[in-house]
Amino acid sequence: MSGRSHRVRKALLPGLLVRGALLAATLALGGCFGWVDNNLTQSPTPWRRVQPADLPVTLPANPKFPIVAARARTTGAIYSSYNVVLGNPTLLPGENRLSIDVHTLPDSPLGMFVQPPRVFPVPLYSTETLAETLAKEFPGLKTKVADSARRNRYGDYDFALAQDATNTCVLAWQLISDHDRTLPRRIEAIRLEYRVCGTERNPRALLQPFDNLVLTLPDAVLEIDDLTRF
Amino acid sequence: MTDRAKTDPAMTHSKRLRRATTLVGITVGLGLTLNAAPAWATSTTPGARALVPGVKVEVAPAPGSGPAAAPNALDDSALRYYARIGDVERMEAEIARLRALDPGWEPPKDLFTPQAAGPGVDESPFWSLVSAGKFAEARAAIAEQRRQTPSWQPSAKLLQELDVAEGASRLRGASDTKRWQDVIDAAAAQPEAVACNRLDNAWRLAEAYAELKQFDRAFDRYKTIVSQCPRAKERRDTIFKASRHLSPEQLRELTAIGATANPAAGEDYSAVRTVEGELETGRLLEKLGNPKAGPLSVADLARAEQTIRDKQDADGAIALGWYFQRQKKHADAQRWFAEANGWTPSDKAAEGLILALAALGKKAEAREAGAPWQGKSGRVDQALKAVTTPPTRAASGGNAASGGGTPGQSALSAALARDDFAGCLAAIQQMLAHSRPTAALLQQRGWCLLELKRPTEAEAAFAEAQALAAREPAKATGKPTKSTGLRDPNDPTLDESATPAQENAYGQAVARLATGDVTGLSRDLPRTNMTAKQKAEIRASLLATEAGRALEDKRYRDVLRLLDARKELTTEPRNLSILRGWALYNLKRLDEAHALFKSIDDRLSTEESREALSTTVKTMYHDW
Repeated sequence: MSGRSHRVRKALLPGLLVRGALLAATLALGGCFGWVDNNLTQSPTPWRRVQPADLPVTLPANPKFPIVAARARTTGAIYSSYNVVLGNPTLLPGENRLSIDVHTLPDSPLGMFVQPPRVFPVPLYSTETLAETLAKEFPGLKTKVADSARRNRYGDYDFALAQDATNTCVLAWQLISDHDRTLPRRIEAIRLEYRVCGTERNPRALLQPFDNLVLTLPDAVLEIDDLTRF
Repeated sequence: MTDRAKTDPAMTHSKRLRRATTLVGITVGLGLTLNAAPAWATSTTPGARALVPGVKVEVAPAPGSGPAAAPNALDDSALRYYARIGDVERMEAEIARLRALDPGWEPPKDLFTPQAAGPGVDESPFWSLVSAGKFAEARAAIAEQRRQTPSWQPSAKLLQELDVAEGASRLRGASDTKRWQDVIDAAAAQPEAVACNRLDNAWRLAEAYAELKQFDRAFDRYKTIVSQCPRAKERRDTIFKASRHLSPEQLRELTAIGATANPAAGEDYSAVRTVEGELETGRLLEKLGNPKAGPLSVADLARAEQTIRDKQDADGAIALGWYFQRQKKHADAQRWFAEANGWTPSDKAAEGLILALAALGKKAEAREAGAPWQGKSGRVDQALKAVTTPPTRAASGGNAASGGGTPGQSALSAALARDDFAGCLAAIQQMLAHSRPTAALLQQRGWCLLELKRPTEAEAAFAEAQALAAREPAKATGKPTKSTGLRDPNDPTLDESATPAQENAYGQAVARLATGDVTGLSRDLPRTNMTAKQKAEIRASLLATEAGRALEDKRYRDVLRLLDARKELTTEPRNLSILRGWALYNLKRLDEAHALFKSIDDRLSTEESREALSTTVKTMYHDW
């Protein structure tokens, strides 16, 4: 037993050495020890205000849910997050918002080695975490998770509904990770979350902005029917 | 609300980071305080142990190999090591352990006699490395020693401790990164890593089961701890830990077991029996403070009132005051706020008292209650608006002002008096439907939106109020306009009462803090028109947030620097003191961390302060 382990270790050793040497050489050649140090600080930056025009998304004009303000922040070198606060015509607590997290691939070999923790979980929700989130987002409202997914320009998304006597709220969430047709190579995934409360009874009216939003990232993100439209 | 917005981020950071960093600075320690070690805390010593991954050394008698030589002799190498370094506590624990293994065994008479250098090898350097958590170095050193002295075999005790300490380290690593199944696997591979002498690990194992929703197993682990670990304090702390995961019934059973099972001589378990009552009180107070929890039963309410009165617990009395205020039992609310203010005068108690009295229509008394804090506390100044200006002032700029009977005006007063912020918004909407918006009304809307956790809209409301105030005639605001642009907020001789413009600027700043716009706010603060007091308050909040970020980035010296700067502006609240303690802890300034945590815990013992203190003590004494 011990002999076998010893052999395995010996066999692995050259490979490990080569890999270690490669890493050291890459770091040294790149003169990038400072880069590594910078990228080890992986907590999110503070939020900063951005103009709606600088957002990577265009929302259909909707007087009930205008953009009140938008913010952005980054986490490490690969996550960009945006928070778009929308108007809230109700008296309920909590902000209406669209959140976007863009997970890009590291732009250098070094980036592969130093990555911040993922800013959103995958799966986006479990039964438990969804229940917790709904209770937090819509305290006192009766909630129900939709049985079937809906579809917007970038694919299927799930949503939940919360209602009381006078208000209706929706929470929709979507993970875009289709590299075959939707996402450019540089983007690993995009996560969208949309939370809106309104005084309409029909949730479709609340979901309309989410159904029709258009992503405007520098690298083109294709819509699901782009390839079948013509 | 603003206090919460200011300090919560820091606390969240501190808690999360503390979990992540607690163990970074902790030397793993040998953890040999096996006082009357229970059966589950010991394991048989296997005959072969790994020195380096993949290389095993048979522990067998060998000439000149010291204590491991005699097949039936107990291994006293650890004992001799503790004697040599003068660690009396561990030495006694080891003697107890060896006696438990062999009741006829007596400690060697030459325990304190320097051992002659013979064919055996002094294991102290290896033990030191293991103590310091340098496992790889320990294994390398042992391997090197064996290369130099082929006839030497490391003692079984040394190898066993090395295995256990490594297992414990793996378990903690998995726990810190929330790999719960790995925690369970690590404990299964090395059961001694979760023995009583490594209680923190045992808690982590139970927590892992709970996180994986295996509550029965979590309960079993907690039961094992409270029945087998002899120290009353450990049993008590275990029940507090378990309260996060177990049902009240399970906790009751746990308490009963902890108070009676396997009592150790000299231990007083009465403190274990009181845990249940303390937890129950905690639950009641939590329920009192939760608007969504609904009314308490008569019995629960009576119990909460009795406990709060017995302890003269001002915070509890304030919670009770708000409970009654929500129930619209304003006289009861007034009584409890007054009690709290009597026991420990505070602006929080005064705030409640003002609003309770306001709801009872006793406006003069309300103003009197707020007088000691007026101009010194934002929350009291805000509350006083309910009995002085806001509802009437809110309407003063428009047609509603003169009438005094505008629809929504009394509704707004009532909503503010009962902390109903949705009602506040509704009333303002109603007023806006009947009259032109005024700066004061929009400002009030901003405060209510802030309370509803809608800070972005609040910021916009304050900005709108700001713009409107600039256009309103002076009498409409009730403030002299000449003062607005000419005051030097840093002039200490000036009256600190804020102008409407300053109130709006302050509201915007609070809203920006709540949205996390730390960088922008820091940049804009010097140019913002606020009183010196308001600026100091916002600056203090920014420093607290920055300190939280610094802790998260492990910039511990910065944490202290920022908190010191904040302390020059205002007193340090409890949660930031705990943050300071963790920074000291991670800088290895353990004595200072311990003194700070102890002073916090002595004043008000909470789960957080107990955990901080216990972690620091364990690290100071390598008792992991």
